[in-house]
Amino acid sequence: MNNREDILQKTTFSYVTYIRSTPEKLWQALTTPGFNRQFFFGATQESAWKQGAAWRLMIPDGRVADSGEILEIDPPRRLVLKWRNEFMPELRAEGYSRMTLKIEKHGASVKLAILHEMDKPGSKLIEAVSEGWPPILSSLKSLLETGESLEETRRWPEGT
Amino acid sequence: MKKPKLVYTTFIRSTPKKTWDAISKPEFTRRYWGGMANVSDWKKGSKWEHHNPENEVWITGKVVESIPAKRLVLTWADPDDLKDKSRVTFEIEPMQDMVCLTVTHDRFQAGSKMVGKVSWGWPRVLSSLKTFLETGKGLNIFCRG
Repeated sequence: MNNREDILQKTTFSYVTYIRSTPEKLWQALTTPGFNRQFFFGATQESAWKQGAAWRLMIPDGRVADSGEILEIDPPRRLVLKWRNEFMPELRAEGYSRMTLKIEKHGASVKLAILHEMDKPGSKLIEAVSEGWPPILSSLKSLLETGESLEETRRWPEGT
Repeated sequence: MKKPKLVYTTFIRSTPKKTWDAISKPEFTRRYWGGMANVSDWKKGSKWEHHNPENEVWITGKVVESIPAKRLVLTWADPDDLKDKSRVTFEIEPMQDMVCLTVTHDRFQAGSKMVGKVSWGWPRVLSSLKTFLETGKGLNIFCRG
């Protein structure tokens, strides 16, 4: 869901999805390259997954899509990243955003909530991630529930 | 302050026809929407109702636009508080072997009590709808904790 925001002089995107899975399996899918590339448009994350560690999202051709740092980590419940775009100059110029991911057990399912925030109004980075998160998280849900991600999210889009 | 507008997009491995049926046929909605049913003939200008498992009317409204397998626009209100009316738009777009389903809930009245309820509800319902279409079984979405 995407609403309010501009009175606070920041741009936010939030998305909540419920997945028939466990917090441990969801955490593993989110932080393991072999799982990542199946639902993250072929991209994989690189990090030591410790507080203060560097974090990068790698495009399959070797370019860095986004980079930042792990601000908070509490497996399999919470991850907060400092996140800057690296491959689109206009977005990179906006500097760092903050991405908070929360996982909660919800009966026989898990609730996954993503909040991506930039401390400025009209952020182009937040506009871009608002297009990216719904297919990525939909595909992650399909992967965990059916064993197969959505085909369109297995490759990096050509020409980008 | 800007008027609230809720937008939720999900990608489902399914067809527009199956997605439309899952939203508009009670025998399907009951299986992923916490036992609730959407009841109407889905013609423009017709009444539509959202029933709980005991067939009590929880939400009522009119069908504003209806293009099967593509676009459905409804007005939306609690039958005990008809002035607190809002609007819901379902858009189904085919993309290769999947569909992109976007639900927009907007045109809330000032001070609407519905905004909070539906921001809580839509992610649950639409997550369960996707699970239902992809696995044949919805999620137990209204459970606590």
